[in-house]
Amino acid sequence: MTMTTRKENRRGLSRRAALRAGAGLLAAPAIMKVATAQTSGAFNWRRFAGQSIEVSLTLGPRANVLRAHEKEFTELTGIKVGSEAVPEQQHRQQVVIQFNSGNPQFDVLTVSLHVQKRLVGKAKWLHDMKPLLADSQLTAPDYDFPDFTGGGLRWATQGDGRMDTLPLNIDPWMIYYNKELFAARGLAFPKTFEEIVMAAEKLTDKASGQFGWVSRGLKNANVPVWTSFMLGYDVDPVNTKTIQLQTMTDGAIAAADYYKKLNREFAPPGTVGFNWNEAQTSFSQGKIGMWIDGIGFAPPLEDPTKSRIVGKVGYGVMPQGPKARHSATFADGIGIPVASKKREAAYLYCQWATSKLMCNRLLQSGGGSPCRASSYTNPEVVAGIKLPREWLQCLQDSAAIGRQGLPEIVPVTEFRDVFGVGLTNTLGGADARAEMQKATEAFTPVLAKSEA
Amino acid sequence: MNAPARTSELSWLARRVASKLAFGFAVFVIVSPAILVMLWMLSLSLKNEVDNMAYPPVFIPSPPTLANFEAVFENSNLMRYLVNSLLVTGGATLVAILVGVPAGYGIAKASAHRTAICILIARITPALSYLIPLYMMFQMLGLTGSLWPIFITHLVITIPIFVYVMIGFFESLPPDLEEAALIDGCTLWQAFRHVALPLARPGIVVAMILSIIFSWNNFVFGAVLGGRQTRTLPAAVYNMLTFEQVAWGPLAAAALLVTAPVLVLTLFIQKEIVGGLTAGGVKGG
Amino acid sequence: MTAPIAAAAARGYGRNYLPFAYPALAITAMVIVFPWLFTLFMSAHEWKIGSPREFVGFANYVKLAGDPRFLESIGHTLWFTLLSVVLPIAFGTGAALVFNERFPLRGFCRAVFILPMMATPVAVALVWKMMFHPQLGVLNYILTSVGLPPSLWHTSIDTVIPTLVMVEVWHWTPLVMLIVLGGLAAAPTEPYESARLDGANAWQMFRYITLPLIMPFVVLAVVIRTIDALKAFDTIFVISEGGPGTASETINIYLYLQAFAFYNIGYASAIVVVFFVLIIVLAMVLLWLRQKSKWS
Repeated sequence: MTMTTRKENRRGLSRRAALRAGAGLLAAPAIMKVATAQTSGAFNWRRFAGQSIEVSLTLGPRANVLRAHEKEFTELTGIKVGSEAVPEQQHRQQVVIQFNSGNPQFDVLTVSLHVQKRLVGKAKWLHDMKPLLADSQLTAPDYDFPDFTGGGLRWATQGDGRMDTLPLNIDPWMIYYNKELFAARGLAFPKTFEEIVMAAEKLTDKASGQFGWVSRGLKNANVPVWTSFMLGYDVDPVNTKTIQLQTMTDGAIAAADYYKKLNREFAPPGTVGFNWNEAQTSFSQGKIGMWIDGIGFAPPLEDPTKSRIVGKVGYGVMPQGPKARHSATFADGIGIPVASKKREAAYLYCQWATSKLMCNRLLQSGGGSPCRASSYTNPEVVAGIKLPREWLQCLQDSAAIGRQGLPEIVPVTEFRDVFGVGLTNTLGGADARAEMQKATEAFTPVLAKSEA
Repeated sequence: MNAPARTSELSWLARRVASKLAFGFAVFVIVSPAILVMLWMLSLSLKNEVDNMAYPPVFIPSPPTLANFEAVFENSNLMRYLVNSLLVTGGATLVAILVGVPAGYGIAKASAHRTAICILIARITPALSYLIPLYMMFQMLGLTGSLWPIFITHLVITIPIFVYVMIGFFESLPPDLEEAALIDGCTLWQAFRHVALPLARPGIVVAMILSIIFSWNNFVFGAVLGGRQTRTLPAAVYNMLTFEQVAWGPLAAAALLVTAPVLVLTLFIQKEIVGGLTAGGVKGG
Repeated sequence: MTAPIAAAAARGYGRNYLPFAYPALAITAMVIVFPWLFTLFMSAHEWKIGSPREFVGFANYVKLAGDPRFLESIGHTLWFTLLSVVLPIAFGTGAALVFNERFPLRGFCRAVFILPMMATPVAVALVWKMMFHPQLGVLNYILTSVGLPPSLWHTSIDTVIPTLVMVEVWHWTPLVMLIVLGGLAAAPTEPYESARLDGANAWQMFRYITLPLIMPFVVLAVVIRTIDALKAFDTIFVISEGGPGTASETINIYLYLQAFAFYNIGYASAIVVVFFVLIIVLAMVLLWLRQKSKWS
């Protein structure tokens, strides 16, 4: 009991702090509009007051932002929220087991679109958001749907035109670099793939434990690194029109070789067992030149209680590849199970979670990049961002060259697993072409069956 | 005393001292892995994140901080998970005592090895294979969202442990007393209840400890079958490993907090465990 | 004098004791019968959650026989199991011999020694994982500061299984120790006295007196360890996730992948059945050894 009160206090405090910090300026118009809408009867947020909904989130900064402000939603709508944030892998599996049983325990859930989009789409587990968006009784007039970026809406829309989630966040990949180490060697951030190798070489001094490069190498987690490079060769892992694997193309092999070279020659030993957290830990110690990963990992690097390189982190946009320049992107959405008996209340939550106010807060926390154009153009929002301006610039530039980092197919996890094993072997010294050949042969029938 | 006798006495003394030292060293060697890991966990939980990731490592927290423990209590609904774990482990162990002890007795007396195997199948089957069908079953029964599914699946952990330990225990008990009771006109149940059961206390203690340890520490059932309000502690601790953020200190703090209840329990009754085992607890079967 | 009665009890009343086991049997059956029927049924189907189900007969089993990942995982499982049975048995038996002696602070040392067994595997595995970090982990610091080369621990194909075994040994040696200690404590003292009079040395006394006396207990510990090591999941899942690559992918981890990452329930069910048969066969062999050790 005492715990809940303490928690509420903390939330209350952080809300007041946020209001003081200037975010309140933004919040005020929205809430006032709601208040006037209620009195004038134009839009009623409280139609479903008294209901309670269960919200199942993927653990991470997005979930943290939503949960920190949940009480505001309850104040606004009178709907009680019970939410839980579960680590990515567990969350995906729990959600699927519950969908399979026909009666999931949640009314709202977040979906990793880069992994589960086609799975939930094919099984038609989620409500189409389009009719709900069109219903003026349910959608607040200030929701401003056209504000969503084209990229975000593409992620959220299925092949058959149904939009079964609202886009919550897009995570582009970029390169974190240590400005101090770069300056010490008189280096500038690389402009091309070749320059990455040259810089990594100059930064590596194994005798003193300094390395030019670090990236994930663990099976499954390593596939986005590979596809990040592959996009520089203008190759997608799967041709979305013909549903053919393009993992045996020269670009795909060259990307694997490139990945191998960076990790074998310029990265600390053991990266084949690294996931993002080992890589992040290494980078935060100040002895690594560059680290490629999602932009959402930035906040701990700028937190003096967690990082030794506060103020020294450079945020580099993915450099020009041999054929193209792209940043691999990944995305989350938020949706409502068809089986939910509280569809309207759940929809109000989704609407609130993707409202301008919450999108702005997400951007300001540095934990993600919302899919609303206005968040990036509103000077007051921009002024409230805690991370360096360079981070925001990198985020926007990366988004401008964004391209899906994983194929839009049903068996994404199997794809990541099979090719992840091949990549780990490659990083361990095996021949890239032979490994990709083996993985392609193993995965071709799986893909054919699932997309039939 | 002549000289050779003295030297031999000296060398005997030296050998004795040497063997004592060697023995002491052996004790040190076998105890140190346990204590070092535990101390390192404690050290991690009392330092801030920069010190936790420092290399060379910082061993002694200076100054120690309780921030990690505060973070654990603030960020998760730890009290509820603690209560869930207590209910599940306590309930499953209690039921296992009620049904497992008589079962062990019956099987031992009847030499019903096939029956024993039927129960042991539950322990031999990989737990992962239960999850999907059980979730469907509990859904049909309308039990999902409550603690029942987790409690019921934990019975599969605790009952086989009890049956297995108690079979061995009752097999090693001399049958004379119960037979005397039967000849005096007791029913089988009375002979068990008033003669065999009181003798079985050490065995029950051992089985209870093992079943508490295995049930308390189970991760898979709580992680998959549990919901927001019904998670058990280990599953909740795994959720502490936050995505996109390294949190070694809070993690170590959470790990210590989960382990603490079982640990304290064991320290208090470790004499009982050893006593129970000595009395022939895990014999035969 | 009780022998005839005991024999009569065993013959005549034996079956009468069975009802004692009924409640336990009923509860166990209630929980496991449906999952088993489900598993057997699904193993004859191809079914991915979210897609239609299709009857395929024994096709899943045929596919398993030719699945290199599965065959490789059997090898990893057996290697992991062998190491995580033999080492805890050796260390645990040694520790039991030590703790069977009287020495100051014995109770305290014994309590400390059994601590790892109490620790929650998932939680401790996370802590081990931090300790294994090849550049920042405390273990490599200790190794290098005593002049040994650093290890790559779970991040190298060559060292991942020994690393996982190390955690397993740390965790479960205490259980073996307790079981063997029970055996030692129950052992009679007379044989030792007569052997000492005959001038036997310490090794001879261990080899010819102690070992035979505690053998049934050691075998019991072997059976329990074997079943648990074959099914080991938490430690491997947390520390290496079966990697690097597939270097530490055991049957149980592969089963997890197929069922909970790929949602291939039909195929995963076939893995469960084969896995179960494997465990039963190994357990039977060990139980047979145990009967033998009892008779001898």
